Amino acid sequence: MSVVPMTSTPIEIEPPVSLWRDAWHRLRRNRLAVFGLAVAVILAFTALFGPYLTPYDFLSQDLNSRNLAPSLSHLFGTDDLGRDVFSRVIYGTRTAFLVAIVVTFIAVLIGVTLGALAGFFGGWLDRIVMWLTDMTMSIPNLLLVVVINASLKSPISMWMESRYLATLNPFYRETIWVDFLLVFGSMALISWPPYARLVRAQVLSIRSRPYITAAQALGLTNRIILMRYVVPNALGPLIVAVSAGLGTAMVLESAFSFLGVGVNPPTPSWGNMISDGLRVWQHYPHLLAAPAAVLGLASVAFSFLGDGLNDALNPRGAK
Amino acid sequence: MMMANDIRPEPTPKTRERLLDVKGLTIEIETRNGPATIVDGIDLHVDKGETLGIVGESGCGKSLTMLSMMRLLPNKIRVTKGEANFAGRDLQKMSNSDLRKVRGGEVGFIFQDPMTSLNPVMRIGQQLAEPLIYHRGMSKAEARKRSGELLKLVGIPGAEDRLDAYPHELSGGMRQRVMIAIGLACNPQLLIADEPTTALDVTIQAQIVDLVKDLRDKLGMSVVWITHDLALIAGLVDRINVLYAGTVVEDAPVDALFANPSHPYTQGLLASIPKLTDERSTRLSSIGGTPPEPGRRPTGCPFAPRCPLAESICHERVPSLEGVSQGGAHRVACFVAQRKLEAA
Repeated sequence: MSVVPMTSTPIEIEPPVSLWRDAWHRLRRNRLAVFGLAVAVILAFTALFGPYLTPYDFLSQDLNSRNLAPSLSHLFGTDDLGRDVFSRVIYGTRTAFLVAIVVTFIAVLIGVTLGALAGFFGGWLDRIVMWLTDMTMSIPNLLLVVVINASLKSPISMWMESRYLATLNPFYRETIWVDFLLVFGSMALISWPPYARLVRAQVLSIRSRPYITAAQALGLTNRIILMRYVVPNALGPLIVAVSAGLGTAMVLESAFSFLGVGVNPPTPSWGNMISDGLRVWQHYPHLLAAPAAVLGLASVAFSFLGDGLNDALNPRGAK
Repeated sequence: MMMANDIRPEPTPKTRERLLDVKGLTIEIETRNGPATIVDGIDLHVDKGETLGIVGESGCGKSLTMLSMMRLLPNKIRVTKGEANFAGRDLQKMSNSDLRKVRGGEVGFIFQDPMTSLNPVMRIGQQLAEPLIYHRGMSKAEARKRSGELLKLVGIPGAEDRLDAYPHELSGGMRQRVMIAIGLACNPQLLIADEPTTALDVTIQAQIVDLVKDLRDKLGMSVVWITHDLALIAGLVDRINVLYAGTVVEDAPVDALFANPSHPYTQGLLASIPKLTDERSTRLSSIGGTPPEPGRRPTGCPFAPRCPLAESICHERVPSLEGVSQGGAHRVACFVAQRKLEAA
């Protein structure tokens, strides 16, 4: 070959550095982000292994030890039914994570699919998706959840009860998951538009990049181009949004539970614990402080993590 | 399928086979003031094993013509008329799934900007393997093996180890080699190189030209090389088409074009190339004026407003591409040049 080789001696090649590894290096240097990540990991660990960490059963009442102040045997004290607040906060973490993860997952799935299709194909598909997005965003989220609770909850419960009486199948007796289903469903329904918009905007800019034309010139199908060229390149901002979105979903779940339209007692949620604690906070401030502090910590942690990821994934935008 | 130049004797004794035949291709862009023509009924062809250079200044429609053939035009730009036959099939009328087999499989593309034409989040080995898996039905392992061979073929040192690299870890010249390797992956019959060296420095440019020349001879494919740099491709191409404002103004074998440029625009282009033997104080010659904007084409010859030799007929009628010498192989679209050669 007439082409001049660059060197004839074997050259040393550094191991390849992916975008993600690069971002990880930058993230590690950001203290707030590391703090956020650490808190998020601890909370996730707590949520995952909750049943093995709680000193007491979150439902077991001990009427001889009601409203105890925090002590070594009850880290966060006990509530008006003598239940261990520490155990309940840990179960509240499970609730918050379960809701946040499932809701964000569904919202991201809907948002990314619709946003990517709309941005990539444009035309009438784009218009319809954008109408849907605007329509959904115009719905006040609290109102929707209240309406869904008021209209669907009792028919579903009644239907389940009648099924139970007819079949005696224990499956129909458990109604806790109806709460979750309604909370998940209504929250997911209102949480996807920001993801759809974000992804659509990303895809619109990526679609006109030369490497997309190059991929088309290789004869690849639209499906492959979307899945392997467009969406992976839109992932950076999406990850930032998901991290912030997890925190938002937790706060939203607490807000709904606080107002009594989310997860209902006796299932512990930070929101309904705060709501209970609020009635007696002058006398037993720990009942309000414990769940509120953990909720605040979680919210701040995910927010820091999101900012840190943003700087790590878009180094040029960072200061 | 009879064309005017088919009647004339061919420059080479054996009849050559048409691989690509573009006829009357017209491209329009949607603007606020309605559609404007960018490429106006362009005719061009490439024979099997031939290397065609397409030369013209920025915005004359070089790249658009090639992209439109493969139906890769951006939104708002459309082909309104004409056909593009590749190996006897009209690419404009082909179904999308047939067209996908041509793209990347039978026609390889090398793009202008190696910095942005590779997917930044995919390892180059995967990007090389993609067409092999898709067009050749190779397994992942086979495709990876072949990808390594391809990188070796385009002269990337440490080829196999480079498969796992991301584009940002390679230099511009290396990335362009990767692009060439991707374009060549499926042994295409035609390689379209769209200004593949503009983003590179001069020494790398020469390497890339040599590389393509080498691979063309080895693999026996046809090449279309789009550039605005006449000197760069002089040693590479068999024939040159000079484009101006979306039409071919001169079509000539490379030697004939350099020895005897007939169109005033070609003469202007050649005169504007600086020579080492020039005095340092010599000013670079340039062609006065600017090319017509799309939608504001003059009625006659599109070059007439800038042409030093323009006569009244040039402003009234559009000259057609006629053979002037070389047994019709050297054709020019200029009334003055055609008359001069008839007289001679």
